[in-house]
Amino acid sequence: MNTVNLSRRQWLSSSAGLLSAAALPVWAQAPAKSSPAHIVIVGGGVGGATAAKYLKLFDPTVRVTIIEKNRTYIKPYGSSEVLNQHASMDDLKVSYDTLRTQYGVNFVFDTVTGFDPQARTVSTAGRQKIAYDRLIVSPGIQLMYSAYAGYSEQAANTAVPSSWIPGAQTALLAKQLQGMRQGGTFVLAAPPNPYRCPPGPYERAALMTEWFGKHNPTAKVIIVDPKDSFVTDETMMLGWNRLYNFNLPDDYVKKMQDKVELKQHAGTTMLSWVRGKDGGRTLKIDAKKMTIETEAEVIKADVINVIPPMKAGQIAMTLGLADASGWCPVNRRNFASTVQPHVHVIGDASIADAMPKSGFSANNQAKVVARAILEELAGRAAPEPLWENTCYALAGKDYGLFVADVFKIIDGKIGRINTKARYLPLNATPAQIKLGARYQQAWLRTFTQDCFA
Amino acid sequence: MNLNFNKTLNPFARGALLAFFAFGLALLSYAAAESASKVHPALTSNAQAATNSVAISGELMAHTCAACHGTLGRLGDESFMPLAGMPLRQFTTSMVDFREGKRPATLMGHVAQGFNDAEIRAMGEFFSAVKPLGGQP
Repeated sequence: MNTVNLSRRQWLSSSAGLLSAAALPVWAQAPAKSSPAHIVIVGGGVGGATAAKYLKLFDPTVRVTIIEKNRTYIKPYGSSEVLNQHASMDDLKVSYDTLRTQYGVNFVFDTVTGFDPQARTVSTAGRQKIAYDRLIVSPGIQLMYSAYAGYSEQAANTAVPSSWIPGAQTALLAKQLQGMRQGGTFVLAAPPNPYRCPPGPYERAALMTEWFGKHNPTAKVIIVDPKDSFVTDETMMLGWNRLYNFNLPDDYVKKMQDKVELKQHAGTTMLSWVRGKDGGRTLKIDAKKMTIETEAEVIKADVINVIPPMKAGQIAMTLGLADASGWCPVNRRNFASTVQPHVHVIGDASIADAMPKSGFSANNQAKVVARAILEELAGRAAPEPLWENTCYALAGKDYGLFVADVFKIIDGKIGRINTKARYLPLNATPAQIKLGARYQQAWLRTFTQDCFA
Repeated sequence: MNLNFNKTLNPFARGALLAFFAFGLALLSYAAAESASKVHPALTSNAQAATNSVAISGELMAHTCAACHGTLGRLGDESFMPLAGMPLRQFTTSMVDFREGKRPATLMGHVAQGFNDAEIRAMGEFFSAVKPLGGQP
């Protein structure tokens, strides 16, 4: 038998054939009221794991199954710290054992290939058919390698890694960066909006600039970017100005100089940022010649890290949950798909307005959805939601910064309600900046605990 | 996280259960199964009652803090303040002071801006009723 977790409803539909419900014996007519609901979660990342944990925390009687292709989770958050030797690949691994043994979450290690939204079953590559009362899909992102001429998944796996979804490409990029020739050039191609982990590309560039400062002091780091600004830009570049002799673009200097002292450094500096308006948008990658062509120039590099445009993870596409934007439209109150019934989409793949595509967002969305599903199954309305997000980031290993927001539904969309301030203040003291870095490291631990343990 | 029912239930709730024992073994086992199946053992009846006091429940808001402050505010030796078991007045005073800029902060000032007095109180009521991790309530 190649099916598991067949619900009573599905067992009926497959075994009763053409018999009407009225012709069935009484015991087989309808699921008993006391039969616990089965919530199936597709994707065991931050969103899926948190949803499973909090469903069981809210109601231990509910049945929860996660379908996930990998037996061990590899954390994307903090994965740039493998590049600067602050963490190992093993440090990124998270076990599902606690969710399984302490919370009673059932795991099916398989790949979802399709679903029947009417019969409410998902099917997998391993030929399993799994019935659900509600489906939560937390598929994360997929990288659009083909967005740039000459770039491909194969090129990313062998020569020009992306490493935005951590794994073998992370180890490859770490090896390339740490082995780069003295005085070599590292180019990081930042992605267009929207993308996972908004401060992430700039944190990665900063951490490598710091590392090169010790190990390869004549190296160059060039960020090429289709954008003219990014989340945490002022506080991140203030850190670069202080740590790496980085000169801010003139418009930023004008905006910031009344609030904080900016140094003007002479000569060329190790780190540079080529913005969209200066021709920073990537057009073409040549993995053999190790060149990257932007609108402004062709750069010969020693190591290239391309973070390509993104869209919702493949499972969202397979299940037909995304719209023309490449992301999944949802009802903001309960993250129910507006495309398919009895399906909720959370995390990076969902369209969540002002909420960034971050692990913190996915974690908070998961909790709201877990509560909403249990209330709705009990015949009550989903409660009024509220979410938070904090993205901690580093400009250097002891230089922390962040963006912190609280969100509510405002006029039908998710909007920020902390309208006064959201970033590290420009006049933050050295102690606050160092504390920010300690918070970033602590968060990597406490956040993993809240999602997976 | 410790999910052991006996270890995490507060002494008052444990006492109440023991008193209930006198009414009969069958009743007790039913009640224990009921409460064990519906309520996290770190939560007391006060934490449950605190969930319905404002438009957004104190419990729902409290879970948004957990990504830094630990599930149910229960945290061990970390840089963040554990919130489980924090006296209500300490929680509300801290949050209001953060919000009004009276207390220096890195990011809590920004977060506190997102909550009005009633919401802060609802969150505080929830956390004050949760048994802290490895400590006395």
